[in-house]
Amino acid sequence: MGSVGLALPWEHKLSSVARDGERRVEPFEGKTEPVRTSEELPQDAAVAAACLSGNLQGYERLYQWQGTRMKNLARNLLGSPADAEDAVQETFLKIQRSISGFRGQSSFVTWTFRILVNTCHDLRRSRVRRKDKVNEDVDALPPRRELRAPGAHPSLRMALERALGRLTAHQRDVFLLYEVEGFHHAEIAGMLEISETASKNTLFQAKKNLRTMLEPPRSSATGGAQ
Amino acid sequence: MNINCDDRERIFLDGSLEEWAALEQHANTCAVCAEELRAWKQLSAAADEMRDYQESPALWSRIESSLRQQQAVPASRKGYWSSLDFWRRISPAWQSALVGAMVVALAISSGYLYTHRTVSPENHGNTLLKTSALAEVERTERDYMAAIDKLASDAAPQLGTDTPLMASYREKLLVLDSAIADLRVQAGENPSNAHLRYQLLAMYQEKQQTLQDVLETKR
Repeated sequence: MGSVGLALPWEHKLSSVARDGERRVEPFEGKTEPVRTSEELPQDAAVAAACLSGNLQGYERLYQWQGTRMKNLARNLLGSPADAEDAVQETFLKIQRSISGFRGQSSFVTWTFRILVNTCHDLRRSRVRRKDKVNEDVDALPPRRELRAPGAHPSLRMALERALGRLTAHQRDVFLLYEVEGFHHAEIAGMLEISETASKNTLFQAKKNLRTMLEPPRSSATGGAQ
Repeated sequence: MNINCDDRERIFLDGSLEEWAALEQHANTCAVCAEELRAWKQLSAAADEMRDYQESPALWSRIESSLRQQQAVPASRKGYWSSLDFWRRISPAWQSALVGAMVVALAISSGYLYTHRTVSPENHGNTLLKTSALAEVERTERDYMAAIDKLASDAAPQLGTDTPLMASYREKLLVLDSAIADLRVQAGENPSNAHLRYQLLAMYQEKQQTLQDVLETKR
């Protein structure tokens, strides 16, 4: 697989330390714990209970707590802030419609993100169908990358976004949930209805593919223990 | 802990803290592993760039408004679905048993109706009702419904009691009402279809029988 146009500008000196400890990074950086803190568990139950009671304030609390994260994931899955907002809105409506079916077998956040991911997939499919109808090319999904706030390394982000578009949908889901949103494999397993091992394997494969796409591995001629 | 290049991918996949530390140490003396480790870490760092948690000022009000609209769905529609909570709570074995009982009852009723239907020589093979016959059927249906409504009001106190038997009768009646409503919609779109009328009649009879059974449990 070629890497033309996808070469990651590794010369950028990125900090290997995660921002303000807000997310889990590789173990060698000394942070193996998830984003979730123990204080969030009662909050999860409280928000679930408020939503179950039918009180709209419960939904508002959920939005205040997870709304930006939901929108970020939706934007990375769909490629457009407008589609992302539609997906988040639709997710809240689905939550309200099916809240009586929430049995607490997973955390409320896990359940919410499961609905969000499925909603994003549905939106993508309907977008593809719409494009099929007008005979537009749908090969290059996600097709619409819209402007967003510039990060420290916009070219790095753009290269990664383009490479993510070439992963399978499943690999993209797992990569975004784990690496960007900071969920645990156990949580991702609950969201995507797969095993934890499958989540780990998929992430590994996604990162291997991204690594190849963004920067072909050096020749292994010098490989082996030294 | 001894780590070599062959362990690298396994550690990337699911290494423990100790193994990551050992790999880091190994990378100090192995250029290939050092390069792979750096690239692996950079992917996580690059993922940071995809996190943009900016507020969308108008989004919550949009969501809230749509939630309010959805919440205002007529109580009758919501009531039907929420009443099915009982159905979801009972065990699959009971669900299967109840569904099986209803299917058998409906099959017997339909079979009885089919084999005992009156077919006159002139309309044999004709599944469409004539205008006069249709008016007659509709009048009979109205009478039937009125009689069933009367039965339902008599059975209401008994049905309201909180016993497993009455709960299953309530569920059965809900399912029958739903089937009747569907059939009535279909019959409304195609009023001359005799087959639909027979099915509807079978449902009414089943509902009538169920209500009579409820009343008999009181005696």
